[in-house]
Amino acid sequence: MFCTLRRLASLRWPLLAALLAGCGRNDVQVYRVAKEQAPAQPQELARAQPGAMPPGHPDVSAAATTPELKWKLPAGWEEVAPGEMRLASFHVKGQSGKQADVGVFPLPGMAGSDLDNVNRWRGQVGLAPIAEAELAKLAQAVEIGAQSGQLYDLAGQNPSSGDKTRILAAILRREGMAWFFKMNGDDELVAKQKPAFVEFLKSLSFQAAQAAAALPPSHPPIDTSATPALGAAAAASDSGKPSWQVPPGWQETPGGQFLVAKFLIQGSETPPTSVNVSMSAGEGGGLVGNVNRWRGQLGLGQLSDTEINKLVTPVDTIGGKAMLIDMTGTDARTGQKARLVGAIVSQPERTWFYKLMGNDQIVAREKAAFTTFVQTARYP
Amino acid sequence: MSARDKISNPSGAATATASLPPSSKAHASRTPRNAPQPPPFADRFFERLIAFFTSLRLTVACLAFGLLLVFIGTLAQVEIGLYKAQNEFFRSFFVFWGPAGGSWKIPVFPGGYLLGGVLLLNLITSLCTRFSFNRKKSGIILVHIGLILLLLGQLLTDMLSVESGMQLYEGQTKNYSEDFRASELVVIDKTDPQFDTVYSIPEHKLTGTGEIRDHRLPFTVRVRKFWPNAVVVQPGANAPAGAIASGATAGQLKDALLMPQPVVASMEQRNTPGAVVELGAGKGSAGSFLVGYSIARENLTTISQDVTLDGRHYEVGLRFRRYYYPFNLTLLKATHEQYRGTDIPKNFASRVRVQNPDRNEARETAIYMNNPLRYGGLTFYQYQMMAGEAAEKAGLPPSSTFQVVRNPSWLTPYLSCILVALGLFVQFGSHLFDFVKRRTA
Repeated sequence: MFCTLRRLASLRWPLLAALLAGCGRNDVQVYRVAKEQAPAQPQELARAQPGAMPPGHPDVSAAATTPELKWKLPAGWEEVAPGEMRLASFHVKGQSGKQADVGVFPLPGMAGSDLDNVNRWRGQVGLAPIAEAELAKLAQAVEIGAQSGQLYDLAGQNPSSGDKTRILAAILRREGMAWFFKMNGDDELVAKQKPAFVEFLKSLSFQAAQAAAALPPSHPPIDTSATPALGAAAAASDSGKPSWQVPPGWQETPGGQFLVAKFLIQGSETPPTSVNVSMSAGEGGGLVGNVNRWRGQLGLGQLSDTEINKLVTPVDTIGGKAMLIDMTGTDARTGQKARLVGAIVSQPERTWFYKLMGNDQIVAREKAAFTTFVQTARYP
Repeated sequence: MSARDKISNPSGAATATASLPPSSKAHASRTPRNAPQPPPFADRFFERLIAFFTSLRLTVACLAFGLLLVFIGTLAQVEIGLYKAQNEFFRSFFVFWGPAGGSWKIPVFPGGYLLGGVLLLNLITSLCTRFSFNRKKSGIILVHIGLILLLLGQLLTDMLSVESGMQLYEGQTKNYSEDFRASELVVIDKTDPQFDTVYSIPEHKLTGTGEIRDHRLPFTVRVRKFWPNAVVVQPGANAPAGAIASGATAGQLKDALLMPQPVVASMEQRNTPGAVVELGAGKGSAGSFLVGYSIARENLTTISQDVTLDGRHYEVGLRFRRYYYPFNLTLLKATHEQYRGTDIPKNFASRVRVQNPDRNEARETAIYMNNPLRYGGLTFYQYQMMAGEAAEKAGLPPSSTFQVVRNPSWLTPYLSCILVALGLFVQFGSHLFDFVKRRTA
């Protein structure tokens, strides 16, 4: 008997050692490492949001996906290899060796305000910076791939060479990305190419991001072959998506970052009237914070709790009580009159946000369908 | 009483009394004074315990439950994914069930740890008590030792193995890999011009708000808030609905918002925690900093912020947990071949250089399908790749990602299989030898 126990006891040290070795991984660790050198890959992500993200991002994984764009190449334009930070580059040649350069720059987030960018371009053609109030006067509405953007036409002199220079620059913000399209070159040539540039913008078509290459089918099984891609962000998955009856005339389209679903209302003009559905764990900032954020999108001022509580209408839905709000203002992105109907459905562990926004007449027409849509959504 | 019971209860007295009919028990209670006394309670208890753990019934029950567990655990992967199924069914002592949306759960089935643990005890106690170490039993003993090693090896693999990833661009060199799931809060002392001192706090220590006590930390770190899955977003009207203020009082992300996300459990997704941490305490506090991840071009981006405290320059941030190695790996070339005329991948291959200054070693090798690199106790598998046309389209240099596996007990399954095979060979061989010997006689 005791001999048996002694035999069993003899195993205690290896087991204890194994346990300690395993547990040690989960303690605070202190170590010295040689200073990291700048990563070899492009630094566009760090530079993309100068005001937003601090410098010194250590090794941003930027390889998994990239936005894709299709276009109709205008006559006389020559596609060349895209340089750093560019998705596409083109050269346009004029008479007497005059030349213009066209670049497409997709950058994450807001990538600086329009005023910052316009003033930077103005500096490149030797013009003085302008104030916010003057920006709206300079902006020309332009169609960029069936969406509305702003075009800036800036002419001056190259501060280095003194040559007459012109910049045509268009800005489009969509799905968490800021797209910049810029033609830069000889004043006369760029002015002449402006219609072609506008046509080029109109011809653009945005494609879904390209996924990272997967392992070939014949790759040997690895212990955790389904581990997540290193650094790849988790897209909103269908597994957490509510089931709903999509009203006629609503077309589902790939949602942007944080969107569970996005629907475009067919027949709506540019910019399209759309319905966005997003979800946040917990309270998601609450009713007041989100209504005030929506008000900001319509160029409306902030309201107090009491004022907002007077504006919202409680609505019963399958998933619980929803708070509905209807507001009209001016779309801060397009400067056009817009209406927003929002609904917030609070659940114990998460909050769902529905937003119908766009042309006020279309929103008025779709409001009933939108409300029914919110009321009948079934949550996972 | 069966022959097996006789073997497992050699003293026999207590068990035999318990199994007698009532009339016999009455007779036993009238035993004379000079009859032998029953063994003390402790001995009886240990004997019953040993009898329980050496029982063949227990072995059969464990194997049957094990079969069922593998079956239902495999089916559960369809609904909850591989990672969660592994944790709930196999890396647990019990499988729990609770009503949908309910806040309580009850154990309904033994989990992998319990079954494996009991089976291990069953094997060890059987080996120690049932078999005498002689030539005739040597085969059986070897088989048991092989099975015990298999179970122990799996336990050690579960406890000690680490899987991570190393992404390299062509020409890039790294001496660390990053965890696929876990994050760490790092406070990096950048004051020294040559070296950085890294204070790494694992993610699980951030989950409970409060002070993180460790005498090695240069200052007090207090967790004010923690979100298991969230993304840092920019403030303003265009912030997504549901974004919240973090409550940070210092740092470049003071005004940034946080978008809390539900915790994900599938293998394809990872949680990106966010936290507000106060660095320093009292008058020496540098303030509360928001630390977390943002998303740029659909990729997670780590954010580090500068902090100056007590005259030293630090960087603070959350990042994927790093594992440093005493050697460097440089990606020389990433090759992505496709079948001609199709987009179907044919081969991924990475040419790498391993440099180990401690050993004055520098050599080049290739990592591709079925040909991982084994070096320094690690195995580097070809995992992902962005090269060729795909990289050109993305405007990025070719890159390759390796799955890095450290498994100190990777040899145990091989060793245990050899022992089991050897044991079976010895056992059946000796039977055959005896049989032939008897026939010849």
